[in-house]
Amino acid sequence: MEEALSERQKYGSDAMPIAGGQSLLVLLRNKLVDPKILIDLERLAELHGLQRQANVISIGAMTTIFTLASSADVEKAAPLGQAAAKVGSTAIRNLGTIGGNVCHNELGADPPPSLLVLNAVAELRRKDGTRRVPLGEFFRSYFETVVAPEELLCRIEVPVLPNGAAGVYLKHAISSEDLAIAGVAVVIIPDGNKGGAAREVRIGLGGVASVPFRAAKAERTLAGAVLKDEAIREAAEIASSEADPMTDPHASADYRRKMVKVLVRRAIVAAKQQLERKSNGKA
Amino acid sequence: MAKLKLQINGEEIETEAKEAALLLDVLREGLGLTGTKRGCETSHCGACTVSMDGMAVHSCVVLAARCEGKEITTVEGLSQNGELSELQRLFLKHGALQCGYCTPGMLMAATALLRRNPNPGLEEIKIGLDGNLCRCTGYTGIFEAIQACARGQ
Repeated sequence: MEEALSERQKYGSDAMPIAGGQSLLVLLRNKLVDPKILIDLERLAELHGLQRQANVISIGAMTTIFTLASSADVEKAAPLGQAAAKVGSTAIRNLGTIGGNVCHNELGADPPPSLLVLNAVAELRRKDGTRRVPLGEFFRSYFETVVAPEELLCRIEVPVLPNGAAGVYLKHAISSEDLAIAGVAVVIIPDGNKGGAAREVRIGLGGVASVPFRAAKAERTLAGAVLKDEAIREAAEIASSEADPMTDPHASADYRRKMVKVLVRRAIVAAKQQLERKSNGKA
Repeated sequence: MAKLKLQINGEEIETEAKEAALLLDVLREGLGLTGTKRGCETSHCGACTVSMDGMAVHSCVVLAARCEGKEITTVEGLSQNGELSELQRLFLKHGALQCGYCTPGMLMAATALLRRNPNPGLEEIKIGLDGNLCRCTGYTGIFEAIQACARGQ
């Protein structure tokens, strides 16, 4: 690890770290990036695997998407496991990593909206220090993040959802291995004292702006509210207006905005149904 | 050039390749194992699928140097003593191929799936093959061959 950080310091933007390589090796072959040096992170044992601590799942940057999709611990962070299962294809999930996924920051990546609604925090290390960056401040623009040329993303810390909360990730794509035309993650934290009301509804959107982001205005309309159909529809409409999508060969900006409206509504309804099943199960 | 020591289809192989060479290129150009097909080279089509420690991977997005110490199996490694594997035999029986270009990748993906899950349902088979495209068959014959293999027929 110390060696990797020293190399990172020494070569700066002349070097690129390689994680699972599922995106970077395509970019390299097509000469879209041209680093003089690759820093291979595979043998850094401390970057692999996940640990469940009291209220946090600490995920090493080199943990594969397959591991996330099949981890019982990640079930405690529901939308993340669902998103991991929808990344690319089996072969890509087998080698692709969570750290590579967020650092590549490609439009329509599945995990980021889920990490955002879970209030995940990235741990970035450089030779002489460590900083922790909430995922909400991690993404800067298409393919850009706050990771500096001398830094490495080492871990992502994901707070476990409180008991009784529900989370859902929904993806819209033409072919299952595509990136999301729109990806929506929702977490509902119910108000324990007020039956049927949500203390908090978190909505994360991917594929529909230069960075994945939280639909803050839509979230505010639902905070403390009883989740009636009309309120859900209105929030979905607002979330759609918060999106700032682009037109590309996969979908037009208008279509993406419409899909946000559909998926946000469906995701909130699905999460609400999860909550109802849970409370019926208890009673 | 860098020296590589690889374990391919049960054999220890020493070879040389360019720094940052891809497994697909080493297999096909370096070692003449042309059963592994070159397709999209962007990890979409799955024609280049091989097995790495029993897992399906797309060899167009794997650094050859990363394979040292790992067990690589290509389609050439499926048959034993000149006998096709059970899955290969069932691909023939169920008409699971037409042009055949996707077949090595399909076989490797399906072999990895059956190793992890010996009795997959249709939905699990579809997920196991979600990194492999076939333009001829419509997939039905492929699904049938894999289901037949799981049933031991």
